[in-house]
Amino acid sequence: MYEYVMAPEQDVVISSRVRLSRNYEDLPFSPKLSHEYAEEVIERTTEAVFGTENGAAFTFLRMGDLEEDARSRLVEHHLISYDLLKFVNRSAAMISSAGTVTVMLNEEDHIRFQGLLPGLQLERSAEMALKLDEAVGEKYPFAFDHQWGFLNASPANTGTGLRASVILHLPALSTAGQMGAVMQTVAKLGLTVRGLYGDGSEARGNLYQLSNQATLGRSEEDVIRSLSAAAGQVVEHERSMREQAEKKDMLQLQDSLMRSWGELMYARLMNVGEFMKRYSDIRYAASMGYLHAPLPGLDALMMDAQPGSLGVRAGKLMSPRESEILRAQFLREELQKLVSE
Amino acid sequence: MMCEDCGIRPAKFHLTTIINGDRVERNLCPTCMAKHQKQLPGIDFSNLAGILNSILEGRNEEEQARQDAEYEDLICEQCGMTYPEFQKGGMLGCANCYNAFRTPLTALLQRVHGNTQHAGRVPGGVHSGVSIRMNIERLKQKLQRAVADEEYEQAAKLRDAIRALTIQLERREGDIKVQPQARLHADGGEGANGDV
Repeated sequence: MYEYVMAPEQDVVISSRVRLSRNYEDLPFSPKLSHEYAEEVIERTTEAVFGTENGAAFTFLRMGDLEEDARSRLVEHHLISYDLLKFVNRSAAMISSAGTVTVMLNEEDHIRFQGLLPGLQLERSAEMALKLDEAVGEKYPFAFDHQWGFLNASPANTGTGLRASVILHLPALSTAGQMGAVMQTVAKLGLTVRGLYGDGSEARGNLYQLSNQATLGRSEEDVIRSLSAAAGQVVEHERSMREQAEKKDMLQLQDSLMRSWGELMYARLMNVGEFMKRYSDIRYAASMGYLHAPLPGLDALMMDAQPGSLGVRAGKLMSPRESEILRAQFLREELQKLVSE
Repeated sequence: MMCEDCGIRPAKFHLTTIINGDRVERNLCPTCMAKHQKQLPGIDFSNLAGILNSILEGRNEEEQARQDAEYEDLICEQCGMTYPEFQKGGMLGCANCYNAFRTPLTALLQRVHGNTQHAGRVPGGVHSGVSIRMNIERLKQKLQRAVADEEYEQAAKLRDAIRALTIQLERREGDIKVQPQARLHADGGEGANGDV
């Protein structure tokens, strides 16, 4: 039997992430970073991180040593950034055993510390990243300017170097055509919302990412607090739209959502695009109590069914059709397990 | 105002295209702008400095050219990065670039962040009066909490730490360099760092 712990506001918030950009003061930044200096970044950081209290929990991975599917899997599970793969010849990552803390090396900046937790837990995610940042910065000083704060390769990240974000599941707001209004409102607070997957007007799985824009002029605490507050308001808004939809015609809502369960249970071919639609429906249904499936389990499954993760599971390169077959089979089996628990 | 292409993101750019004399104006978000730029040869929107200078500011080309010429000769003596090179790639070559390009970067940071003064954490050592002031603020909050919780021993320690930091700050403002060790000692001593 599996055990799932619900995180705060997990009916709407999938996860909370905080990333901190840092550069060693005496080493050249990304555009001028030679192979030797990149190795120096790796040496210093691994030494400092492994030397911390929880250092033994980290696994060190060079991106160049990984198969393509394994790299994609890390991106799909939000353990590393997509941009880390732009520098595959020099980049590496240290990932904690629980996957909650990651140290990305030689991306656009020497270091990106990341804290990642399920639900709305930005403060704790920030704490985890900042704690590691302090431990490493104590050993090897980071580039810092008294006026401009932490100096990063791109001036857009200079200051705190902090980017905080939450992934929100907003099916009811999307259906009600309210996303435009949400985006306008958060823009006034210096925040942005964008679809997590896909571009243009399409937000696959009704998943959105809410994050801060500026990094200079506001303290870490201030940014985290305002982002948490804004996320909290979007959560309330989404919940009330879900309630409204239920009040309007509960049977209709249940019918449309639960049909996706049927598709997932019996489909023999499943592409990612369709899967994300179905996932959104059954997650919505589970949050309303129409379907007894644990949300953390559904979210884990969503990431595991992405192309790279599925490829790692198959242990081989698959054709698109093979991948659709495996996805359909994997989902049938795992969803059955989730609801029978 | 929302993007006229996707309708879901706020418009950040005003794009005017004149093709064969036909003028088309659109308000676009960065994502849709990026799509359009693929169709517009000669303008590199991935260039951060370029975007900010030419679009957000809405400056005309002549003024832009004059400004660029002014900074064109700037070079970071530490890593060899030139200002035009930075403008092209959007990334700086080392920490010293921030000094070498201080004037144009001040304007750039103001446009990107709406601010040019760091208000967040500072590394362990002493870098500025700002850091001392922020530490004083932090300790004052702790002091209030300690008093409220009737932890008088702790409160006394914090009061001493605040006093020491205040003296440092005054000294610093008199342009005397502060010893990092002195501040670290003053920063609460053992047991005062309850939270991080």
